[in-house]
Amino acid sequence: MELNQIQRDALKEIGNIGSGNAATALSMLLQRRIDMSVPEVWMLDFEEVSKTIGLLDAAQAVVYVKVEGEASGKAVFFFPLESAEIIVQSLFNSSEHPDLFTSEIAQSALKEVGNIMVSSFIIALTQFSGIPLQPSVPALAVDMVGAILDAILLEEGEIDDQVLFIDTQMSGVPQIEGQFIFLPDEGSLNKLLGAFGI
Amino acid sequence: MSTVINVGMADFKTAKNPDLLMTAGLGSCIGICVNDPVLKVGGLAHIMLPTANGSTGGNLAKYADTALVLLLQDIVRIGGNRSRLRAKMAGGAQMFSFPGKPNILKIGDRNAEAVEKELKKLGIPILAIDVGGSFGRTIHFDVGTGDLRVRTINHGEKVI
Repeated sequence: MELNQIQRDALKEIGNIGSGNAATALSMLLQRRIDMSVPEVWMLDFEEVSKTIGLLDAAQAVVYVKVEGEASGKAVFFFPLESAEIIVQSLFNSSEHPDLFTSEIAQSALKEVGNIMVSSFIIALTQFSGIPLQPSVPALAVDMVGAILDAILLEEGEIDDQVLFIDTQMSGVPQIEGQFIFLPDEGSLNKLLGAFGI
Repeated sequence: MSTVINVGMADFKTAKNPDLLMTAGLGSCIGICVNDPVLKVGGLAHIMLPTANGSTGGNLAKYADTALVLLLQDIVRIGGNRSRLRAKMAGGAQMFSFPGKPNILKIGDRNAEAVEKELKKLGIPILAIDVGGSFGRTIHFDVGTGDLRVRTINHGEKVI
């Protein structure tokens, strides 16, 4: 499937509004400035998707939230480990280095951050499109990004030849990097574009 | 000098001694490694799903059943002896757990079962298996020795 320029721009705008809200939520939560890039809209062969997230076996903390409703999809946050540590530290107001692999409290803090960000994303999307959406319970994995991404893509036991997603980079001051991607499920695309009258 | 040849998602490659085949960040996917230890040639397939369900179009390297057939053909084409081929496999993790989700949906387990079944069907002995768990794996396969190095982030590194 090909996207035309108008559809692409509409999806970018959806990403802009949703991710903007999510970045604002993160900024308020951490009490620091968070900048975000203009979202990119990708329609890629699934083999190519992994190329958008850098080194496949680099460890990152990834929060995955399913978005349920009439325009369902998958929302995923990728945080490099150092950034995830800083997020946990600033939430707990502590300078101790959390062990993201084993600390339940650090993990649940990160899940909550994901939850808040995805909820903000969804609220913006719903207000804007009129499509009611709900977030599912967030899941967290701290591991190789490639491994996590393949698990997310294959979760339903099948994969389309092409994957559409909206990709936004976030960076905070100081030293927080993150990437947010939203993957609308097949069929959600028309609903989302329909909300724009396209 | 040996070269490390990278195998992407839903892809397969073959190599001759002393080259290594690698694939990075296996989650629920499986790396199937097959070699002929005498002629020191082999291949690696990075499969994503258990079966093509009889489909013959699209990317057949994506599925355990069809990828394996292609991989064996290619290994024989570069000189491997079909009757000497043997296999090792790694991957098939479940990276996320959602409470209350039935086992039938665990794609990593289903992939591992499918690969084992296909290898048995084709009469290829399986020398080593490192599957399951909830962590990613990066693998390097030495087609000469048949050594399969499995690296993880927080669960150590081993050679099987």
